[in-house]
Amino acid sequence: MPARKDIQKILLIGSGPIVIGQACEFDYSGTQAVLALKEEGYQVVLVNPNPATVMTTPGLADVVYPEPLELGYLEEIIRLERPDALLPTMGGQTGLNLSIQLYESGVLDRYGVEVIGSSIESIQKAEDRGLFKELITQIGLESPRSQLIHSIPEAREIARELGFPLIVRPSFTLGGKGGSIIREPDQLEPLIERALLESPSHTALVEESLLGWKEFELEVMRDRKDNAVIVCSIENIDPMGVHTGDSITIAPIQTLSDEEYQKMRSAAIEILRAVGIDCGGSNVQFALHPRTGRMVVIEMNPRVSRSSALASKATGFPIAKCSARLAVGYTLDEIVNEITGKTASCFEPALDYCAVKIPRFELEKFPESYRELGTQMKSVGESLALGRTFQEALNKAIRAAEFGFEGLEELTVSREELERMVTTLHPRKIFAAYTLLKQQGESVLEELAKKTAYDPFFLYEMLQQAELEHQLSRKGITPELLRQAKAYGLSDRRIGKLTGLSVEEVFAKRTKEGIHRTYHFVDTCAGEFEATTPYFYSSHGEIDEGKPLENPVVILSSGPNRIGQGLEFDTCCTLASFAFRSLGRKAIMVNSNPETVSTDYNVSDRLYLEPLTLEDVREILKKEQAKQVIVQLGGQTPLNMAEALEREGYEIVGTSVASINATEDRGLFAQLMNQLGLRQPRNSMASNPEEIWRAVKQIGYPVLLRPSYVLGGRSMFIAYSDDELKEFLQRHPQITAERPVLVDQFLEDAFEYDVDALSDGENVYIGGIMEHIEAAGIHSGDSACVFPPYKSEPEILQEMIEATVKIARSIQVKGFLNIQFAAKDGLLYVLEVNPRASRTVPFISKASGVNLVESAVKIWSGIDLKTQGLVRENGIGVGTCITGWAVKEAMFSFDRLSDVDPILGPEMKSTGEVIGLGESFGEAFAKAELSAGTILPTKGKVFITVHENDRKAILPIAKELEALGFQIAATRGTADYLFQHGIFPEVILKIHEGSPNILDHMRAGRIQLLINTPLGKYSQREDGYMRIEAVKRKIPYTTTTSAAAAALEGIRYLLEERRVPKSFNTAFAFKKQ
Amino acid sequence: MTNQAALVLADGVVFYGESFGHPALFPDELTLDRSLGTGEVVFNTGMCGYHEILTDPSYAGQIVVMTYPLIGNYGSDPKWNESGPEKGVSRKAVKATGFVVKHLYRGPVPPGRISLHQFLQNQQVPGISGIDTRRLTLHLRDRGTPTGVIVRIPKGKNELSRSQLKEVVTFLNAFPPMEGRNLIGEVGTAKAASVHREGGKHIVLIDCGTKAGIVNQLVTLGVRVSILPSSVSLGEVLNLKPHGVLFSNGPGDPAVLGPQIELCSRLIGKVPVFGICLGHQLIALAMGGRTFKMPFGHHGVNHPVVDLRDGRVYVTSQNHGFAVDPDTLPAGLQVWMKNANDGTVEGLYHEELPVRCVQFHPEAHPGPLDTLWIFKEFMNYT
Repeated sequence: MPARKDIQKILLIGSGPIVIGQACEFDYSGTQAVLALKEEGYQVVLVNPNPATVMTTPGLADVVYPEPLELGYLEEIIRLERPDALLPTMGGQTGLNLSIQLYESGVLDRYGVEVIGSSIESIQKAEDRGLFKELITQIGLESPRSQLIHSIPEAREIARELGFPLIVRPSFTLGGKGGSIIREPDQLEPLIERALLESPSHTALVEESLLGWKEFELEVMRDRKDNAVIVCSIENIDPMGVHTGDSITIAPIQTLSDEEYQKMRSAAIEILRAVGIDCGGSNVQFALHPRTGRMVVIEMNPRVSRSSALASKATGFPIAKCSARLAVGYTLDEIVNEITGKTASCFEPALDYCAVKIPRFELEKFPESYRELGTQMKSVGESLALGRTFQEALNKAIRAAEFGFEGLEELTVSREELERMVTTLHPRKIFAAYTLLKQQGESVLEELAKKTAYDPFFLYEMLQQAELEHQLSRKGITPELLRQAKAYGLSDRRIGKLTGLSVEEVFAKRTKEGIHRTYHFVDTCAGEFEATTPYFYSSHGEIDEGKPLENPVVILSSGPNRIGQGLEFDTCCTLASFAFRSLGRKAIMVNSNPETVSTDYNVSDRLYLEPLTLEDVREILKKEQAKQVIVQLGGQTPLNMAEALEREGYEIVGTSVASINATEDRGLFAQLMNQLGLRQPRNSMASNPEEIWRAVKQIGYPVLLRPSYVLGGRSMFIAYSDDELKEFLQRHPQITAERPVLVDQFLEDAFEYDVDALSDGENVYIGGIMEHIEAAGIHSGDSACVFPPYKSEPEILQEMIEATVKIARSIQVKGFLNIQFAAKDGLLYVLEVNPRASRTVPFISKASGVNLVESAVKIWSGIDLKTQGLVRENGIGVGTCITGWAVKEAMFSFDRLSDVDPILGPEMKSTGEVIGLGESFGEAFAKAELSAGTILPTKGKVFITVHENDRKAILPIAKELEALGFQIAATRGTADYLFQHGIFPEVILKIHEGSPNILDHMRAGRIQLLINTPLGKYSQREDGYMRIEAVKRKIPYTTTTSAAAAALEGIRYLLEERRVPKSFNTAFAFKKQ
Repeated sequence: MTNQAALVLADGVVFYGESFGHPALFPDELTLDRSLGTGEVVFNTGMCGYHEILTDPSYAGQIVVMTYPLIGNYGSDPKWNESGPEKGVSRKAVKATGFVVKHLYRGPVPPGRISLHQFLQNQQVPGISGIDTRRLTLHLRDRGTPTGVIVRIPKGKNELSRSQLKEVVTFLNAFPPMEGRNLIGEVGTAKAASVHREGGKHIVLIDCGTKAGIVNQLVTLGVRVSILPSSVSLGEVLNLKPHGVLFSNGPGDPAVLGPQIELCSRLIGKVPVFGICLGHQLIALAMGGRTFKMPFGHHGVNHPVVDLRDGRVYVTSQNHGFAVDPDTLPAGLQVWMKNANDGTVEGLYHEELPVRCVQFHPEAHPGPLDTLWIFKEFMNYT
């Protein structure tokens, strides 16, 4: 059946901000859906408050509402837009849950909106664990033995029956949130309580442990004619017990015979049939007992998922795009396979490579949360690599994940520690297993297979690498061993380390031997048909496919998501590719992140799914005979390669490497600031503790201490006193001349600003100035910010504009420029200059209605800012907000990382962001908070506990809140102060003062807002328990006075009880008036 | 690693690698009578199922290249054999004449299984690993499927000498090409056998190298199956008074199977006649149609087939190098199913007579079990 004609307008719900468990894979699926539906001639209305996404780029969907993903706003948007249909399957669990709410509340009925892609009934069957289990039994398959529980006593009962360990899975949560493994009776109560709290339906499934079973996933597509195909089979190398999002996985399945596989395949299709999924893709998970072969069905997701994004990239089969087409009436046989251009989509991709995914954790940032993995997902990103051997794919994927490993490498930890790592679900387990294999050889394999529950196949292949590495270390770098090592995916650096050579020596050796990468097409058919869509991966010593493109520009993207380098950068790269191609230039994308839009092979003229390391990039440039490389869009990863690439003779497009260095090198930067007559905070560099003490004496407390060469403010520290400085020094004993520490004057209580600008070397366009809502000292990525600045002196803003222009012209910025300013006591300070696209570029682009990336690409293509019409006669232009006010709020995943204090500081912790658009600051702020999951209260009790210094600032806020009808409660000190100034707060005890204390009050649901301003790293810690509890109970909290003031504005807006959805498009109209 | 073996193609292209399984012959040992490891080189795109593929009788006379690079991962069932299943008759297990893989797994295998290397050694079939199967596959796709041979490299050498290579290529060019080759005698049963005697309906299976799965599926449906040699006479078949006759799959060129085509044409109209793979081609030929050699055939488990009656698409298991030319079909014989990728004929039915056949393998092994219903469909016409 061709596309349906009876529907014209389709509503699509995005997944909102990036959190652990729901990341940019849904930008990929949503973008694909938008494009596919537009191609079919439908009008698409999109709701997603995540400004960092590609999908929300104006011009893709017909209307984009960056509004809170919440029933009230959705209903209002439906009332305004009157869509004919709702596609609920593209926005992850958020989209699915919201669709069910819209259905259950009668909104869909009221406005005659049809659900397409998956019926509500099917979603409920798949998502409700009880219903699903029943259905599995009906079709003759097995589920884990389990029971749905509503209370702790029920859980105790089932525990008696099944014994320990037990797995707990709360219903209707994403990324396994709230799930856990109960190993012993003592853990039952707290873990069940948490699970019930997390579940919107306050139910959880308690089931038999399948720890150590093999885990598999199948990605299935099914249409209304009952055509069904398995797009991809995935084997989790990490066995059951580790969330699949945290597991190392490989596609296709490696260790099942055809008989075993076909049984699973038939079961998966039968499950889709039974659930009633008949126009889209789903993911079905199985566990298999490694010895008895007993197969049980774990779960299915009746929507596109992280795994389906992975499967799309691993096979070249665009699941989301196909799902969107199926949803509007097509069947699989009517959809052409884009890769071959001639065959039908109703087939199963045949791979002639394997695809390994490696999760990326934030071990250094949140060590306390990563002692062990479990059923709740904790990884923040992933890398994917394809290879013609398992070793090649694995080593490439590890290298691509950029967490300091070149590939499979041995660890230098004690034997006891290794043993502990292989017997627990340690995030570095595979490295520990490799170490033992390398140390002890084949004799240890069988025992290791038992301990790790890795299939012997994987361990044996790892052993092959260990043996090769021994040979390399013994015999040195013979041509034969070098060839073998490259075929196993070992990097030049790794080979150098094994043979005692430098990277350059290894490179020279292999150049001499003519050992370079060869590239294959990803063609979905193992070479059976000719591929027309250019999607490449590398191998060694094989046929090299594809001729170089004519004069391409190579865009280096940002690799796996991590805190500090996320979706924003990937979006910049994608938009740049679009822009280059619309100007007629061939664009090549390099990235290793399978979740993103940039690794959609339709985005660029060519896609290389490769690690973003100098070695890998160099080989691609060589193959393509490319001259020009873009490094300023993908964050720090590509920027780190700029100098080396320039040395190799490649042209770094835009701002020169010398200029980049002038901003990154401290000395040069200070010189520059002096020259331009700009002010920096007092600062110094110290290469040993004595120098630090001396520097602090000169600068004066508080000081900001920054170990050099860290990303996202990792290990940054603010010291207020000698004691705190001592503690810092204890924690960082290895300060040397090579690894110095930067000591900066910390501008306490300053206002901080971010400026995103573009320059062609002469003209300067300031996209926008953002003011941080959080106080100074909080990482800019974590701070809420408002565009334009709120209550700032016009003189200071003018000074910032002038400073930006000066800097841009003096270092000849060509492209992006991001500057961080601080203002204190009427003085402007330049904190940082980054001549590259910043995290806020997508936000500013959307809030100001100017696609800054497109504009940058035009600059690089010789179209200056004057010609682009962005600057006035004086060569300066400044962007304005389309609706008046836009607030960016950071999104955290603290609730996925147990025991992490959600206190903010100079080290970045957020995983995503949202935008709130408004005609008033209050509206924009309230929406941003709501989108970030913080429901500001409109009545109830506000609990205030602030540092002495903040009492004065908090007083008017408290008064105002009281006037709005809130009850005020406070700790003794704060209460005294408020009392003296005419407020009569209830006094609540701190935890160490007895009970009932603040925790009891929070648990009892008596606190609706928490205003807490700790000061100094150490006093901060004391209040940590309060904030941890607030996160658990979802009680809004603020940790600065400025945030408290903003919350007040937001509350005022909420009290007006108006919901006026703003779209980026109507906002454009607003701007034109 | 030094090269231990080479795969030489008739067009002179050589791939060097390591040997596994049974030792291959040295170049100078090759004769038309002693041609171990020689056959038409075809590629299979399945990602697992290697012991099903190796023991599939339709691969007789062929060297199979696996496009998936990691092979042998789950070991091999030492007793695996896709032919049979009549009791007391032992048929050669591995029918393929050689096996070509990118990476052979040589590690520990699950209990009860042996390594693939051991399996091929037991079955006396040579294999070669460590070669660029992607290059080879693209070569076969673009240039067709030549005869090839796996040979051993003489000790102390890393490559074949020019004269050795010339010698091997000469041998390959003298070797009978697949077009025109009759191989069913090698793999079909020589003696009649009966399976599931207590079954209700009775089907005669003309065994041109049948897969056991075909018989098993019929038995599952409660059918009594008489397996007859392909040389059987019309009278012998009719004497059994079957409810239907099924022509099995098998290797080689269907066009040269004169007696079987003749038998088929004489059966049609007298009893319901069915065919699978080679059997399907025999039916087309028997009714006056023609078959042709495909450039590189269909060998895999992911081929989409459209049922033209309702437009449904099935993912099928396939293994054939010849196909029925739809333009040569006689009146009354209609295309039932088509390949959704290249449009080739995948099934036929007759407008009036009870004649039904499919090109693919509904019994799977390896491959999807989505078309098991074909057997029921056949039985509906008996």
